[in-house]
Amino acid sequence: MSDEPLESTTSGRRVMKLYVYSGLIIVALMMLAGITMRAEQAGWASGVSAGLFYALLTLHGAGMIVGLLLCGMGALWYLMCRHIHMSAPLAALACILQVVGVIGIVIATLFGGFAALYTFLDPLPYHGTWPDWSTGLFLISMGLVCAGWVIWSLQMLGGVMRAYGGLRGAMGWDFVFFHKSFTAAGRHPPPPEAFPALLSGIDGIIAGMAGMVLMVALIVRWLDPRVKIDPLWAKNLTYFFGHTIANVIIYMLAATIYVGIPYAAGRKYHTSIVLAIAWWTSTTLTMTNYFHHMYMDFAQPHAMSFFGEWSSYMSSLPVVVVTVFSALMIVWRSRTRWGLGAIFMYSGMVGWVVGGIAAEIDATIPFNTHLHNTLWVPAHFHTYLLGGCLLFAVGWVFLLLESRSRRRTSMFFRWVICTLVFGGMAVFLAGFYAAGAMGVPRRYAGYIFTGMPIGQLFAQIATIGAAVMIIGFILLFIEGLWLRLHRLTAMPSSPQPLVESIS
Amino acid sequence: MSDSLQLLILFVILAIIAIAIFVVIALSTGRPSGESSEPPGGYVIRRRWFLVLILVLFACFFTTIPFVPYETAAMALQPALRVPVVAHQYFFDMPSHLPLNRRIMFEVTSDDVNHGFAIYGPRDHLIAQTQAMPDYVNYLAVTFHRPGKYKVRCLEFCGPGHFAMDKAFTVGGAP
Repeated sequence: MSDEPLESTTSGRRVMKLYVYSGLIIVALMMLAGITMRAEQAGWASGVSAGLFYALLTLHGAGMIVGLLLCGMGALWYLMCRHIHMSAPLAALACILQVVGVIGIVIATLFGGFAALYTFLDPLPYHGTWPDWSTGLFLISMGLVCAGWVIWSLQMLGGVMRAYGGLRGAMGWDFVFFHKSFTAAGRHPPPPEAFPALLSGIDGIIAGMAGMVLMVALIVRWLDPRVKIDPLWAKNLTYFFGHTIANVIIYMLAATIYVGIPYAAGRKYHTSIVLAIAWWTSTTLTMTNYFHHMYMDFAQPHAMSFFGEWSSYMSSLPVVVVTVFSALMIVWRSRTRWGLGAIFMYSGMVGWVVGGIAAEIDATIPFNTHLHNTLWVPAHFHTYLLGGCLLFAVGWVFLLLESRSRRRTSMFFRWVICTLVFGGMAVFLAGFYAAGAMGVPRRYAGYIFTGMPIGQLFAQIATIGAAVMIIGFILLFIEGLWLRLHRLTAMPSSPQPLVESIS
Repeated sequence: MSDSLQLLILFVILAIIAIAIFVVIALSTGRPSGESSEPPGGYVIRRRWFLVLILVLFACFFTTIPFVPYETAAMALQPALRVPVVAHQYFFDMPSHLPLNRRIMFEVTSDDVNHGFAIYGPRDHLIAQTQAMPDYVNYLAVTFHRPGKYKVRCLEFCGPGHFAMDKAFTVGGAP
């Protein structure tokens, strides 16, 4: 049994609910947009025009990123509130800004037809068939998302630094370099989850500010078309902002591994020197490996591409040598009870690693020539966002529900849910990977009339997989409601540790 | 077998190995050791795993450098047929016929927004690509060794007509 309870403060719990529930609702709606697009590519949704397809794609990409970001912010907030004090009203403000941003994106895309994608590469937002107001609304909405992200990141960084003795203490500098004297003095390093919190704070502020600079530049260009922006500069900022936000989401939710997996396994995850150094590495490389998005921009200095490749390779080391490896050591021959929470969190690590393998292949410059902007790209990021981040978020929610309800889903129902979710997900992703390896382009509103019927075949396979997966998630949602209801009626008081409760 | 299909096989093998490790470790919980902490021997494995991984990554990095599609200054000066390509929403302005076994330097730019310039071979495999950007010229060197029908597709989203943006051209034989 773990010494560390899963519980947090009341305000931490409230903030987490606000974030995670908002995030999961957005993710569920974006999933529906996603399957609609895949069905259109499969030739099964003829009512979806090309304009609507790309508006949905814009919405799906931007909405899914914000939805998962909210899940990560909520989970990490909850974890850190067990150790540090942060302002709940400011957290609520940050969340509201982002939700309002998503509402703006919904209006701009579905009602305004804005379809310059979630990458909105300059100058495309001003060269579309959509009305001018939808461009402005989309850019302002993305600006609100950035503002909310920066407010949250400032709070998180400030809280961590205040609690652990400034940046030096929060990094575990003395713990790493003066280990003997540090431990002899009876001092303790920050807990493992404080390191992803530090990364989220630092990288979130820098990338969020970069995103705001980009939004301001694009909004100025929207207000005055005479203003010209260098497209390569805008592209660099776009991918720096976009890649970093996607990576920070993973690291935020990876923090739940440090608490959730040991909790389910009945063991403890300790801060070690290797762990601290691994997180310093991740904090730095998360901001430099975005160059791999620009390998095919030959006008970019080549040294940046080589640096991006090396940086992408090195950023895999902290993941597979420290975080995931240590989690596997904790699970190895432990008394882990495989409730849905533990299953989903553990499976999330599989998605993270497998998606990472595909990403590393794509991050190799000569291979990128064959894979860049094919369906291989959505294949790998769906693997670690859907098969990694979302599973971490859902797993975390179920760990809490199981803990507080003292119940575990029946073996039969666990098998049904897991078969549908993981089986459907595997088929869905296989459709992306196989098509990507055959050079089928991504972001095509239909394949039949473009001389690529193989793209339609894989879209049909993927749509079936996605439908099965969504049925599994619906059953999971019903099971979650049942556990929640049970908690309300039978367990209004304090929760029990999971290992005892489900034995 | 195309290069990208080989990459798919590599990925599938690595993914199966990774999933197998996760499954074996999950199954190990069926016979718990009773220890309250992780096995100490794991740290020895971790150190070796780190060394193996970093060596593999070093090897990948250095062995793939000769195959990058970028032109060095010396390579760019070699004789080549210069072919300007201008991308527009939603068509490519470029020749419809190109010679066989001759080094061709595509000078790719865009007249409006970002586009992709991806060349698909006669078997519809992606053989080379670069981006087409406004205000910049990207130089892509290709030598076609197989005659036949080729196609250029836009691989960077450029607007609602993106999926229909392509250009067929032939290589070898009479134009």
